[in-house]
Amino acid sequence: MGVKITNIEYYLPEKIVTNDQLAKEFPDWSSEKIEKKIGIRERHIVREDETALDLALIAGKKILENYDKDKLDFLLFCTQSPEYYLPSGACILQDKLGLREDIGAFDYNLGCSGFVYGLALAKSLIASRIATSILLITSETYTKYIHPKDKSNRTIFGDAAAVTIIEKSEEEQIGEFILGTDGNGYKNLIVPNGGLRNRYDPNDKEIDDSSGSIRTNNNLYMNGPEIFNFTIKAVPKVVLETLEKNNITLDDLDFVIFHQANKYMNEYLRKKIDIPKDKFYLNLLHTGNTVSATIPIAIKDALDNKLIKKDDKVLLVGFGVGYSWGGTIITI
Amino acid sequence: MEKMKTKDFIKEIKDALEIEDEDQEITLKTNLKDLEEYDSLSVLSIIAMIDKNFGKQIPSSDFIKITTIKSIMDLIGKEHFE
Repeated sequence: MGVKITNIEYYLPEKIVTNDQLAKEFPDWSSEKIEKKIGIRERHIVREDETALDLALIAGKKILENYDKDKLDFLLFCTQSPEYYLPSGACILQDKLGLREDIGAFDYNLGCSGFVYGLALAKSLIASRIATSILLITSETYTKYIHPKDKSNRTIFGDAAAVTIIEKSEEEQIGEFILGTDGNGYKNLIVPNGGLRNRYDPNDKEIDDSSGSIRTNNNLYMNGPEIFNFTIKAVPKVVLETLEKNNITLDDLDFVIFHQANKYMNEYLRKKIDIPKDKFYLNLLHTGNTVSATIPIAIKDALDNKLIKKDDKVLLVGFGVGYSWGGTIITI
Repeated sequence: MEKMKTKDFIKEIKDALEIEDEDQEITLKTNLKDLEEYDSLSVLSIIAMIDKNFGKQIPSSDFIKITTIKSIMDLIGKEHFE
């Protein structure tokens, strides 16, 4: 017995912010330079009245057009942009998607590693006979946390929801996992205010990071250089360990999908690890970094563009906020 | 790891900052923050360059103290240069 991914769908909010629009707001920003270096031309952004749960619902309805919803017996909802402190978004989604009542559903809070963790959870739930068909939703709206004058983060992040169905199968199509955590880096990608440690403060002072980005502690803060340092250390290691645990070499892999952080970082990691360019996917031109949604979006786009096909072995690696990271190998 | 010549290091910095003008003078005393090419994107390139050539990651708390090219070399460590 095994588990496999059977369907993936995603939804991007309608509103688009292009590099040209950003360059108008930030005159020292060059539209071409952004695209060339970080591989992003535009990103989709939620409206003020639109949430990660709204995106999840649209993507969820889309996938259920071609899937019998009564088969689903578990719902996993990964987001760091919750509707409420309580209840769980997963409970609201169970009702709004019209799923059965005799199923488990819960939220978990992870960012860029969230999809790989979701697969690990889904695989465990199926292997332990708790569930047979799982709806995994990874939906994120970091743009809600970003200060309007934060040039760097407004450039990098976009919003999106991805939904994935994981089912019990004859053959094992989701391989072994390597998961990791280093909470020592928690302050390097954080929304400091708004939780119970530091309450949201409407009068919080503006902080100028000296590179032309402004924020307050109510907003998302990312220490870019430190995050890059973390990935340089963590990602090559998780790649090697994941290959080893799955008894496979880089040569035998058909394709590699990393969390789509930004083109420069991902390309640097590719070269450092020696992954051939034609096996490596860069897929953020029209979406930006959509956090836990980047990997399922990339799998779906790679399938639709025929970059991967049935039986291909694909390495997935997620890494980021926490710090948290994970790798696995799936068979398409 | 081999030691690097100062002029090669300056060349690496120019590449990282994507300074294509061969005549643009960059010396050990050049302050990075005075260069129009130095921005949050080029910081990524400098981090990558240092990792690639020296296998080192400079903590961001040190990175913000960077002024001249010489100050980067001091952060990397004098033992890495000829």
